[in-house]
Amino acid sequence: MPDRFEKLKEVKKKFITVEFFFKAAGERFKLEQITKLDIPKRKKIFDKNLHRPGLALAGYVELFTYQRIQVLGNTEIKYLTQLNKKKRIDSLMRFFSFNVPCVIITNDNPLPVEFIHIAQKFKIPVFKTPYPTTRFIYLVSDFLDDQFAPQIVIHGSFVDVYGIGVLFCGKSGIGKSEIALDLVERGHRLVADDVVLVSKKGESVLMGSGTEFVQHFMEIRGLGIIDIRKVFGIRAIRFQKRVEVIVELEHWDPGKVYERTGLNTVKGNIMGVEIEMIRLPIFPGKNITVISEVIALNYLCKHYGYDAAKVFAENLKKKIRLNKKSGKGETSASLRRAIEYFEHDFE
Amino acid sequence: MIEKEVTIVNKAGMHTRPASTIVKIAAKYKANFFISKNGFEINGKSIIGVMTLAAEQGSKLLLRFDGEDEHELAKEMIDFFERGFDEK
Repeated sequence: MPDRFEKLKEVKKKFITVEFFFKAAGERFKLEQITKLDIPKRKKIFDKNLHRPGLALAGYVELFTYQRIQVLGNTEIKYLTQLNKKKRIDSLMRFFSFNVPCVIITNDNPLPVEFIHIAQKFKIPVFKTPYPTTRFIYLVSDFLDDQFAPQIVIHGSFVDVYGIGVLFCGKSGIGKSEIALDLVERGHRLVADDVVLVSKKGESVLMGSGTEFVQHFMEIRGLGIIDIRKVFGIRAIRFQKRVEVIVELEHWDPGKVYERTGLNTVKGNIMGVEIEMIRLPIFPGKNITVISEVIALNYLCKHYGYDAAKVFAENLKKKIRLNKKSGKGETSASLRRAIEYFEHDFE
Repeated sequence: MIEKEVTIVNKAGMHTRPASTIVKIAAKYKANFFISKNGFEINGKSIIGVMTLAAEQGSKLLLRFDGEDEHELAKEMIDFFERGFDEK
C-alpha cells in the first residue's frame, strides 16, 4: 500500500522555450531584451542550471555547457571590456558560434558595442537585469527548478486543514469530494479536487495544486458541477499547498487490521519523497471531517514535538515498572482514579 | 463462556506493542473479550483499556471469552499470552 503511488506516471518538462521563459519570468526578474530580435521559437532551455561562461570567453571551450542560460556578471563584462577590439571580437564570435539559448547580463552592466551586433548576427537574444549576479542566479534557479520539477497527477481531494496539506485518496465514489466540501464548510480551504497536480520541489518537498482548467470546480454525485470559489468565496480556496499528510479512505473491512496506537506510522512514497500516510476505514455515521481535523492537529502536535502515542506508551512503561517494584502492593492492586478524592463540590 | 487465568511472563509486561496485538487479535472475532486484573474488568477490544491495566511481569490476569467463536479466540489469545507476547 505505501507504494501505491509508484505506478503513477511522472511527467517532466524536457525543455522550455526562451520565449516562454521571457514571458513567464521576464517581469519577475526585471528582464529587458537588448538585442532587437523576435525571440526565435527554436531557442529552447534544456537545463535548469545556469552557466557563467568566463572560461569560454577566455578561449577554453572544452566541456562548455553552452546549452544552459549564460549569465554574464561584472567579471565577464570587465574581462571583455579590457580586451583589445580584435581579441574581443574573436572571443565573442567563438562564444556566440555555440548554440546558446540566451544570454543574460546582470547588474545592468553596459556592453561593448560589438556584443549586440554579434549576438544579433547569431540570432541569440540578450537580456539585461538590474539584479546582482548571485541574487539573480538564486532567483532564476528557483524558477527553473520549478519548471523542470517532476510532476504527477493524483486522483484525490486536496485541502488545507488548519494549515496542514491533507490529501485524500481512495476509490471513486468513496466520498472524497464530500469530505472536502464538509471541510470547506467548516472554514478550511480547498486546493484541488479530483485532479491534483503534485510537483517535487527540491529533494523533500511536494507541492500540490489544481489544474489551470479545473481550478476550484468540483463534482458532487447527484448534484453535478459546483464552483467552490463562487459558492463559498475567496476564503474557501487556495492555489497551492505543501502536501503533508495523505489520508487513504477505504470501506471498513472487518477482516482487515487497522492501526490502533499511532506508533507505527506508514509512509507513502511519492516521487521519492516520503509522506505520512493514514489508512482510514470509513462507514456510515463516522464523522471523517472531524477526524480529518484531528489528523491535522495531531500532525501539528507531532511537528512541534509532542507525540501522544509515544507519551502514552512511555507512561505505560513507567507504570508497569512501578507495579513490578511495588510487587503486589496497593498501587498495583487497582485502577486508580484520576484524582485522589472528590472534593466537596459534587458537581 | 470461557475463563482462563494467565500470568504475564515477559520482562517488559503488557506494554504498548503486545497491547496493540491483543486488540488486533480480538478484533478478528465476534466473541466478546474481557481482561480483569485485581477485580477490575476491562473490554479487551479497547486498546486504552488493555493499556490501563499496566500488567507487569508476574501479574495474574483473568481472561474471559464470550460469544459464538469464543473457542477460536480463546485459543489464539491464550497462546499469545503463554508465548510471553513473543518476547523474552
